[in-house]
Amino acid sequence: MIRIERLRKTFLDFEISDVNIDIRKGEYFVVLGPSGSGKTILLEMIAGLTKPDSGKIYGVKEKGIGLIYQDYMLFPHMNVFNNIAYGLRIKKEEKSKTDISVQAVAEELEITHLLHRSVQTLSGGEKQRTAIARAMVLDPDVYLFDEPTAALDMSTKIKTHRLFMKLHRDHRATIIHVTHDFEEALALGDRIAVLMDGRIIQIDTPEAVFNNPSTRKAADFMGYKNVFSGKIENNKIDIRGNEILTLVQEAKSAYIAIRSSDIFLSKEKILSSARNSFYGKVVKLIQRGSHMEVMIDTGVLFHVDITYSSLREMDIKPGTRLWVTFKTSAVKVFKH
Amino acid sequence: MKFKIVFSLLGTLLILFIVIPLFQMMISSDPGELARTALDKDVLRSICLTLRASLWATIIAFIFGVPLAYMLARTCFFGKKIIEGLIDIPVIIPHTAAGIALLMVWGRHSLFTRWTGISIIGTEAAISVGMFFVSVPFLINSAKEAFKLIDVRYEKTAMTLGASYWKTFITVSLPMARKSIISGGIMMWARGISEFGAVVILAYHPMTAPVMIFERFQNFGLSYAVPVTVLLIIISLVIFIILRVIEDRK
Repeated sequence: MIRIERLRKTFLDFEISDVNIDIRKGEYFVVLGPSGSGKTILLEMIAGLTKPDSGKIYGVKEKGIGLIYQDYMLFPHMNVFNNIAYGLRIKKEEKSKTDISVQAVAEELEITHLLHRSVQTLSGGEKQRTAIARAMVLDPDVYLFDEPTAALDMSTKIKTHRLFMKLHRDHRATIIHVTHDFEEALALGDRIAVLMDGRIIQIDTPEAVFNNPSTRKAADFMGYKNVFSGKIENNKIDIRGNEILTLVQEAKSAYIAIRSSDIFLSKEKILSSARNSFYGKVVKLIQRGSHMEVMIDTGVLFHVDITYSSLREMDIKPGTRLWVTFKTSAVKVFKH
Repeated sequence: MKFKIVFSLLGTLLILFIVIPLFQMMISSDPGELARTALDKDVLRSICLTLRASLWATIIAFIFGVPLAYMLARTCFFGKKIIEGLIDIPVIIPHTAAGIALLMVWGRHSLFTRWTGISIIGTEAAISVGMFFVSVPFLINSAKEAFKLIDVRYEKTAMTLGASYWKTFITVSLPMARKSIISGGIMMWARGISEFGAVVILAYHPMTAPVMIFERFQNFGLSYAVPVTVLLIIISLVIFIILRVIEDRK
């Protein structure tokens, strides 16, 4: 088990503080946070590359770490084989053993055909496999991934996720993976720690982190586009004339967040178990790749995700009048 | 299109500014005189001495300058800006002034000579010292910029793969900065070869090629100085072109 206790590191204008994490052996642990939240520094402290100002990290053996950075950091003056063999040569491993180990790991990662290529001619996915092979050949106890899929296209990213899961399963390796991509965190993590402004604000299962973000900032980051603030009285919060029902009874000052996929639209007011219903006018449509984001003004601006087929069938365009409906349980409340 | 034409024109004017005097000198020198000069033992000895002394200075600069450049690129410490400024001083000050300053340290009446009993004034070592002083900033600055450009995460990765600081420097940082360091070395060597001001104060004899050119110009006039100058330029040019080609191929 890796235990991180009261870790603190201060820079000129940034501080990582009070980081306490227990990571179980063989766990796939994701640190989720936006850019500049301190993820890479945390990883480098775990790797022993950056000294914390205070606090302790237990359970990480020196040189028992496979660190893979976002840009892979393959040595450009070496070919793929020499990159993979680097750690073994440093260990002064026999040449014959080095050759066998490199070959074995290259076969496992399906990069045997690349071994004599210059790393500068590799694609993003090939570079990443080479970087993983370079770490894997030393059979580390812990893998540290620093945003390893940030530079990859969607299909390579999905393949990479499969590769990470395989690595985790087959080698029973402990993986600490930092990312700003919450979908990736959900897809891979046994548990997720949310890191914001140098502080861990939540550690939980992916479902819990996503469905019950602990702060308004976390909700924003998790993709909640409908975030409003106000005072809750008798299970109601008044946002510019829209009385939204909440599960929380009273709060002097609170944020509420509603995921845009938890809201549905209708042309007529419908009787359902959803208690929050508001009438408004479509002000903008935004294409979001797989779906369409509809912005509706009900006095409050709601962002709602719908499919293209719904958009066509309901003939939604700017100016269309619609009902915005969502369940009370879809309203996440974050008290100040 | 206009943009490219204007820029090309400006560049061409600058190249002509450099090339015309050299070309003029080449065509004004008598081939027979040039051939005789090329066979003149004193001239050849002087050119060889110049190339050799500058090479020694460059080799010593590699040993001391590259680690310094790495430290300046990678670490922050109190007084770093002052040190960077000090390194640039030889480029700023007149080289005769540099020669006089060096004479105070290495001259016959200096503390160094009094303590050790060794005087290098008037020797090949003195020439190398003068060349080293005025040309070492080229190597240090070039190496420093090269190290700065290497993402520190390459080195961190090497360390997680088990490499020590030494191993990381030798197997990752140095090879990655190699091209600029060698380029800086070539520039330093070239600058050393052309040095006159500092060298003439530390060692009039044995005579380096720039000193010989000055002496012949002073004592016998332009026609005697030109063949030596042309010969030095041709030899230097051939060597540098060969070095650049080798470096580019690597």
